[in-house]
Amino acid sequence: MVDAILLIAIPLGTAFLLGLLPGHWRGAAYALTLAALAVGSAISAAWLLEFAAGADPREIHTAGAPPPFAIALRIALAESAGLLLVSLSALFAALYLRDTLLKQGRRAMAVLLIFAMALSGLILTRDLFNLFVFLELTVIATGGLVLLSSDPRALGAGFKYLIAAQLISILLLTGLIFIYHAGATLNIDELAAISLERLPGGTLAFFLVFIAVVAELKLFPANGWALDIYESAHPAFSALVSAAAGTAALFALDKLLAGGTAWLPVATAIGCVSFIGANLFALAQDNDRRLLGYSSVAQLGLLVVVVGQRDLLGEAYLFVAGGILLAHALAKAGLFWLSGLIEGRDLTAWAALRRRPLLLFAFASFIALLIGLPPFPGFYAKWELAHRLAAGGHIALLALILFGALLEAGYLLRWFGHAVKGTPPEQGPARAPQKMVAVHAALAGGWAAGYLWGELSGLGNLLHALPLLFALAFLPLDWLPARVKNSLAIAGMLGWFLHAYPGYDPLQLIFAAVILPGGALILLASYQNGGRRIGFYPSAMLMFAGLIMLIEANDSFGFFAAWESLTIGSYFLILRGRRSQAHALSYIVFSLGGAFLILAGFTLAAQGQTQLPLSALGDAPTALAPWVFLLLAVGFMTKTAAIGLHIWLPGAHAEAETDVSPMVSGILLKAGLYGLFVLLTQMGSQQLHGIDLTHAMLWIGALSALLGNLMAIFQEDAKRLLAYSSIGQMGYALFGLALMNHLGWLMALMFVINHFIYKSMLFLSVGGIAKRTGTRDMYRMGGLITLMPLSFIAVLIGIIAISGVPPLSGFGGRWIFYNAIMEGPHRLPLVILFLAGPIAFLYLFRLIHTIFLGQLKDEHRRVREAPFWIILPQMIQVALLLGFALVPGLALRHVDAYIGGLVPGGGLDWEGLTITSAFGYWSPVTIMLIVGVIFASLFAWLLLVNRRAQRVGQFNIVFAAERPYRPETTHFAWNFFAPYRKALGFFTQPLATRFWAALTDLLHAGAGLLRRHYSGDGQTYVIHLLAFVVGVYLLRMGL
Amino acid sequence: MTEIALATGFLLILIGLYGALTNRNLLRMIVAFSVANTGVNLVLVGVGYLRGRAAPILDATLPAAEAPARIIDPLPQALVLTAIVIGVGTTALMLAYAYRLYLTRGTLDISRLRELKW
Amino acid sequence: MIRRATVLLLLLGLGGVFSALLFGYTPDDELNRTAAYYAGQTVRDTGAANIVTAIIVTYRGLDTLGEVTVLFLSAAIVGLVLAHGARAGGARRRPIPPGELLETGSRLLTPLILLLGVHIFVNGHLTPGGGFQGGAILASATLLLLLANPMRRFSHRLIRLLESLSGLLFVLIGLLGLLLAGGFLDNRILPLGTLGELTSAGAIPLIYSLIGLKVGAEFSSMLAALAETQEP
Repeated sequence: MVDAILLIAIPLGTAFLLGLLPGHWRGAAYALTLAALAVGSAISAAWLLEFAAGADPREIHTAGAPPPFAIALRIALAESAGLLLVSLSALFAALYLRDTLLKQGRRAMAVLLIFAMALSGLILTRDLFNLFVFLELTVIATGGLVLLSSDPRALGAGFKYLIAAQLISILLLTGLIFIYHAGATLNIDELAAISLERLPGGTLAFFLVFIAVVAELKLFPANGWALDIYESAHPAFSALVSAAAGTAALFALDKLLAGGTAWLPVATAIGCVSFIGANLFALAQDNDRRLLGYSSVAQLGLLVVVVGQRDLLGEAYLFVAGGILLAHALAKAGLFWLSGLIEGRDLTAWAALRRRPLLLFAFASFIALLIGLPPFPGFYAKWELAHRLAAGGHIALLALILFGALLEAGYLLRWFGHAVKGTPPEQGPARAPQKMVAVHAALAGGWAAGYLWGELSGLGNLLHALPLLFALAFLPLDWLPARVKNSLAIAGMLGWFLHAYPGYDPLQLIFAAVILPGGALILLASYQNGGRRIGFYPSAMLMFAGLIMLIEANDSFGFFAAWESLTIGSYFLILRGRRSQAHALSYIVFSLGGAFLILAGFTLAAQGQTQLPLSALGDAPTALAPWVFLLLAVGFMTKTAAIGLHIWLPGAHAEAETDVSPMVSGILLKAGLYGLFVLLTQMGSQQLHGIDLTHAMLWIGALSALLGNLMAIFQEDAKRLLAYSSIGQMGYALFGLALMNHLGWLMALMFVINHFIYKSMLFLSVGGIAKRTGTRDMYRMGGLITLMPLSFIAVLIGIIAISGVPPLSGFGGRWIFYNAIMEGPHRLPLVILFLAGPIAFLYLFRLIHTIFLGQLKDEHRRVREAPFWIILPQMIQVALLLGFALVPGLALRHVDAYIGGLVPGGGLDWEGLTITSAFGYWSPVTIMLIVGVIFASLFAWLLLVNRRAQRVGQFNIVFAAERPYRPETTHFAWNFFAPYRKALGFFTQPLATRFWAALTDLLHAGAGLLRRHYSGDGQTYVIHLLAFVVGVYLLRMGL
Repeated sequence: MTEIALATGFLLILIGLYGALTNRNLLRMIVAFSVANTGVNLVLVGVGYLRGRAAPILDATLPAAEAPARIIDPLPQALVLTAIVIGVGTTALMLAYAYRLYLTRGTLDISRLRELKW
Repeated sequence: MIRRATVLLLLLGLGGVFSALLFGYTPDDELNRTAAYYAGQTVRDTGAANIVTAIIVTYRGLDTLGEVTVLFLSAAIVGLVLAHGARAGGARRRPIPPGELLETGSRLLTPLILLLGVHIFVNGHLTPGGGFQGGAILASATLLLLLANPMRRFSHRLIRLLESLSGLLFVLIGLLGLLLAGGFLDNRILPLGTLGELTSAGAIPLIYSLIGLKVGAEFSSMLAALAETQEP
């Protein structure tokens, strides 16, 4: 194995050698630079492989004398990985900078080489003063590389950085010499061994060095100069600063803290402030590079937290720190490199990526890497970190980190929304092969790191999960025509169902049936779309993969990974809608917030066990169990859009594409219900401060049902109406579950099936109608019954089923439901729920009345029936509804028996075609017959009577001369339920919407105001730094 | 003796920082940082000093065998040399920056270089 | 005003840290472990009479390599910065020529200064002084010439060759230590010789001379670059 000192000697020697070349041999100088960096990468990679195979750490002595008398270096697993990261990012930076370097000549190349050398030295050295020398080298090299930017403002940024670095070096040198005086050594390992605190002056001296290294990490809030550099430097250099320099400085801090365990909590606190503060300030950013700067600061803050929790993390330290660091470095480098391809600096300019799907995919991957979504390394690392923190009792820290992560996800995904939904400029991103190479290398690195961390995690590699691989396989296949991909998707889903269903228990089977064959059924409607539909299938399949992995999961990790996957997949799907940008953002922020609650719940329950079997949820420590229950329940209820947490749903479901709305409404919502099923099965009811939590859920369910329905009746937009109706429907299901008795659960399951069928059917019909009429506003429609009879039938059957009148399955649901509440003790929520029933009639009536009856609008005279592929699944669903209404036992009787083992209370008696409960019996077939007879006779009577009716022509009316300001106000179907609005409107005050809007406004306004702290004045920044130093000193000494 | 050197060094650092943080002119800031750096260097050599001992250079009057008992600590002397040289390097760099800034912006006032902020 | 008060207050805090350090400071009576090692072992290890030189060139040679690199880097960047700013050559007025006295005086002094500089760094392992000091003296010759005639221009090519070659040789000698002796920058690739002689202490005189040349070249390069910004 070659000596690691070559990692310093080779770039340095090359830098000197460049001066010997004739001035005009720029190409040769450039080739030499690349070669030196490539050799460095190869050496680091060779060491990494050696250490990965289990080699012992290697000490490198210089000058033939032992430390502490001569400078010693060390290379081990972490160091070699860090070195590889540094050399590779420098290599790609050199590639990326090709034109600039060739123009500036070999001096610039030499500076770049020395920068890489200095960072390697920071990682390798074990000598404190040597650390200082390499630190100064990075500072000066930074001063040089900043000038590579074409932005004239970079000059000012560079100067600000230099003066801040002056203060840092003063502190570092002063501290260093006193450390030497106290400890008689400059060797870091010896210093670690002698516990400086106990030596006179040792603590203070250590503090000065510590704070200087922390300042070099450019942590919030004393980091104004760093943000200016990120914003104005050449993106390739910003990438290098963020990825490589950040890594090296982190190594320095880690080494230093080996001897200062008393300072670990201080590091944790500083890191935590940095993580949250920088993420908060980033909310108000609209310059892409400055945003990336803030994000870098935040990520380094998180890493400092990890360093601060080193003792707690134990042997998982490298795994956690490495995972987060690698994700950060790859993503940041990739994003900065991408930013060099984008013309404008505003976030909206990233819409240019829409012209290049591959780059958009890279962008999505980088964002996911940063947020720590599966299957990237940050996901595994954060999972581990959260578990260790929870087990160590650092709950507040965990909460803060999750809050910061949510902020981060918020602004990153908002940015992603701009890229996906913005108007792309005429010109796509510049085509520069060497820049593309860098971006794609970061992309490949990100996925490879995801695979590696999956392997290392010991939790099961998500990139080995077949459903996920199936979804990912659609990425390379995205060039195929949409119809081919659709067939593949349907085949895959049905195939998986056939393959897996014998292994499911009845509960899983119900959900799986809704997800897979149900999903395939809805996908039939997707045949309607021609072309390629880039991006649709990977997203949809990701969602379905997540869903099916969710119900197949046996342990907390699998469950959570599936949960995140389905969340991301559905987010991408929803984002596809034409005006869905804002709604998709609110959907994903709520979903991730819910997911973080679930994560917190699992970690609390697991007490360090990173792969908690779901069946062990009930074994959570008694003191924590209610909290676990609360966190998980609220997390799941975010998905089912329980009242208060529902504001994301209407927009997301209504603005989604025609075939997406039924998926996200009919299928996706069930994920939350499944979670609640699992939770209640495992944990039963829990008491918190004397409140029965299931009782609280009961109330939430009842209120969701009432308010969801109420809000639905006042909608003008048919899809929004259906969306609000989902809130109400999920309220029913929640209520049933919270009853905690047999029939309640049976009813909830019945809702799972029913709601899937009728809601997806209604969304499809309404979507088909909207497609034909070009509007979703119901008052703009009317009289479509003759033109779209099949859609009419679907809607009619659908609303009969929803409203729970005989003879369709909705009635069965109600019947079970009434039986269930008769058994339950809770009367008041029950009354509320009863109230909700008739309200549902109101909005359902509108669907039929306003869309299909009444006068046909002029512009709709030529409207045809909805497209075949949209009608087909609806007709199948009609058949299903009728079938399920006739023989509900087919599906429910096994579940009924299964539930009997889970919750108390008597079940139903399934005998022949009759179902008997303690309170009566229900015979679907008889009812169907009776209702059929009644309907037929009424219809006949109507026909008879109707013969005498007089037809009124469309134009047989008087026109007024006046043209109203808002024409729709004169339409009878507009604001149809105005009287009800007068009476009940106060119920639908958007309190929750206002609350969440106020919260986000507060965060944004706070960020906008507080970031003025970065006044742009370099001198002020140094004062900040000084204040930071003095502040930390006072806090530390005061405590 | 040592204490006086240390106290002077610390004082120089504080004076230098005060100058650097209150003067708006780039050149004055650079000079002020040089003062502070000098203070640091003074502290560095001050810490290595031992009362009544000789410089760590062996010759006829200071044979190798007596060195441990008669010389001052040589390490801070070596460190200070490095620190001085690095200080020179950064000062040169800052001066060049100041010159460029003056050329391109026509000002040496740091409070006017604020186009990057927030 | 507020700024001054804030700065004063903060410096008061920093002064607090410093005074705590100062009052907690107890001077050593004996050399500490590290210093004692240098005092006792330097001659045996390196053969250098100037212990500080031994530390700079050998024990902490990596620092010194970094230090030299700092100068190289600064010179390169100063060159970059100033090259950016170099104005398109307008009409240059012919400057007033330096007087006869200055011309002759600097011609007379330059070789002497150079000689002194070389003497200082060649004897760096024996007497006070060394590569940095000698290099600075070399550069003062450049400064003298520039002061005498601000319009004088130096050959960048020569300076560059000097700095690159000496730097490269420094690294190569360091690597030789890896091959032939105990590690990177070990000076025992050459015989240690007798204490006090010019050709003793292994590679130290060689390295220090290279450092001297390099430092002289770097400073000259910076001076030359700065001088070129001077407008006639």
